[in-house]
Amino acid sequence: MAIDCEDQELLDGFLAETTELLEKLDDDLITLEKSPEDADLMNRIFRSIHTVKGASSFLGFDMLVKVTHKTEDVLNRLRKVELRLNPEIMDVILEAVDLVKTLVADIKAGEIVERDLEGTINKLIPYLSENAVEATVLAPVFAPKQESAPAAPSSAAEPEPVIEPAAAEPQQAAAPQQAAPPPQPKPQPVKETPKPAPPKGGEDLADNSTVRVDVKRLDDLMNQVGELVLERNRMIQLHSDFQTGLDPTGFGDDFGKLSKRLNFVTSELQMQVLKMRMLPVEKVFKKFPRIVRNLARDLGKEVDLIIYGEETELDRSVVDEIGDPLIHLIRNALDHGLETPDERLAAGKGRTGTVVLSAAHEGNQIVISIKDDGRGINPDRIARKAIDKGLVSEEQVAAMGTREILDLIFLPGFSTKEQTTDLSGRGVGMDVVRTNIRKLNGIIEIKNELGHGSEFILKLPLTLAIIQSLLVEVEGEVYSIPLASVIETMRVSKKEFHMIGGQEVLKLRDSVLPLLRLQQAFGVSEVYSERDTCYVVIVGVAEKRIGLIVTRLLGQQEVAIKSLGKFLANLPGIGGSTIMGDGRVALIVDPIGLVGGGAA
Amino acid sequence: METALTKVKSEEYGGELIQLVSFNLEKEEYGINVLMVREIIRMLNITRVPNTPHYVEGVINLRGKVIPIINLRKKFDLMENDYDKRTRIMVMEVVGELMGFIVDEVSEVIRISEKEIQPPPPVVSSGIEQECMAGVINQANRLLVLLDLEKMFTADERRLFTNVG
Repeated sequence: MAIDCEDQELLDGFLAETTELLEKLDDDLITLEKSPEDADLMNRIFRSIHTVKGASSFLGFDMLVKVTHKTEDVLNRLRKVELRLNPEIMDVILEAVDLVKTLVADIKAGEIVERDLEGTINKLIPYLSENAVEATVLAPVFAPKQESAPAAPSSAAEPEPVIEPAAAEPQQAAAPQQAAPPPQPKPQPVKETPKPAPPKGGEDLADNSTVRVDVKRLDDLMNQVGELVLERNRMIQLHSDFQTGLDPTGFGDDFGKLSKRLNFVTSELQMQVLKMRMLPVEKVFKKFPRIVRNLARDLGKEVDLIIYGEETELDRSVVDEIGDPLIHLIRNALDHGLETPDERLAAGKGRTGTVVLSAAHEGNQIVISIKDDGRGINPDRIARKAIDKGLVSEEQVAAMGTREILDLIFLPGFSTKEQTTDLSGRGVGMDVVRTNIRKLNGIIEIKNELGHGSEFILKLPLTLAIIQSLLVEVEGEVYSIPLASVIETMRVSKKEFHMIGGQEVLKLRDSVLPLLRLQQAFGVSEVYSERDTCYVVIVGVAEKRIGLIVTRLLGQQEVAIKSLGKFLANLPGIGGSTIMGDGRVALIVDPIGLVGGGAA
Repeated sequence: METALTKVKSEEYGGELIQLVSFNLEKEEYGINVLMVREIIRMLNITRVPNTPHYVEGVINLRGKVIPIINLRKKFDLMENDYDKRTRIMVMEVVGELMGFIVDEVSEVIRISEKEIQPPPPVVSSGIEQECMAGVINQANRLLVLLDLEKMFTADERRLFTNVG
């Protein structure tokens, strides 16, 4: 059945708002389970579901109305303390919320699929009948100021018939409810729906296709753009003055001042736009309480998830990418890291394990850490497994330090689990995690204390759009090397190069550094043949070091990364391009590609 | 806007008129559907990109967007020549991506009726790969080769493009 909705804007608004509400709902519900007496929270949850119900009934999404209606009824009883929250009720509510999400996703996809609602609804119904009332009645925690509160709980009036009579019938059939929810003042949700800014396109409503920006930030931006326009006018004026020869002497001075101001304005502008692209990491983190709850129950473990720094902001491109690796790491922490309550007691720890998820800014990076107080990683076991699986040889392991052994878990195909479960043990996990983090130019570190837990630390750049880079010249061509991977640069005479086994190397202090001539790697024709000194840029990726031979260093610059388009996407050693001050394009060197596929 | 224009014209002439941009390469005239062409610009500084097929001249900065540039002379195995003041880059949208093509000279926009397009002759002397020729237009005093650039990048070649090296 296709969606028949005349007003696309209204539908878009509904989807945007509903998605947002549902996202928040998960988090709130988990929090509610921990503090069931929180009346404000309870009311907020109730209002969210209520808004979704109102809006969907207005738009005529019958199935959605049915489910939200029943959920709302149960929540209403909880709210009025006729029912007491326990994990079973919470499970059913969460299941209902999941069903609502599925239905909303169907609407978003543009096609309403007939789904089995009865299963979930039937689970909700027992909590609506009188005999489900728990004996315990807590002190009334009812806040009467809520919009829906004044309505009498006794009325069985259906709110739907006013607008959507069709919706009412299946609902009555579904459950004869004595304590139906208060009839809603209908116009209210109606007014609410069109409010959220309708996304411009309207076709693609993927979660990240629209941005909500603080009006103040937008005003600041406008302000900066105004400044920029002024400076442009000034520049045009300056140029015409210069051409008419009115003030040729002062031109240099004026132009200098102008470029300084322009520099200032554009840096400000850049900061503003960057800030707009920033999202709090909360967007990812708020999924986790729910995941942890489910996992803990499945695994029979008791877990406290503590989250710090969810307000830390980072670029949306990064936010979109870190979700999966983090889920992997959290699963690992629960499955491999934490012990069962009995094991914990035997080890002299508290029954409940703790997983700490934290995010913080550190210089130009964001640091996300996942720390558990479980059994920690046993290096001996890792080494044995790796040998068993034929990933490394005994001799190799013998030569490794503890840190290198821990790094073995990142090898493809590694797994310590004897049996594959749906959670872990397939041996793909950590390998994928590291690949994803590397794709973001990030690094991953492990801190481990046997018997006391382990910590995985991710260090990620704040943004992927603008990087600091070192500009170098290779026989007349300009290339840009990401500064994050540059370790040091040095000027050397060509006489210091040695050949070992067909590989040019440089003796650097105590070590021998393999060299790569960018001129050869990139096929640049030689123009300065008689020079006998050149520069070596030492780049490092993970533990690997390589020296890139370049003709000259041009300096350090902040560059905006531009894609080369899909035709030139996979060039070895080239990670992208950027536009220089003079409007020319400079290519960005991809050190990972060079180190991996090159001489090392 | 272009679409609207073409439509009006085609109605006028009975629904079969198409507009072509004509350009020269090694003294031969070629035509390409006007709807494919985004803009025509003069030569700019081209940044060479290493490890690409020989006919990829490099990339340029087109008002903040980096687009690849292909030398049609090299692509068609014609003799290379120096750029002069008539050399142009035709920016076109090929399979969803903007690309620039270097040609000797862009001459005009011509209207022809679809009936005038003849299938390409079986043997092509100039070395142009057969598959990207959509047809030949034979008018009183000119011969025009109609190109289909989408076909220029066959599946094989597109793979080559991305996996070179």
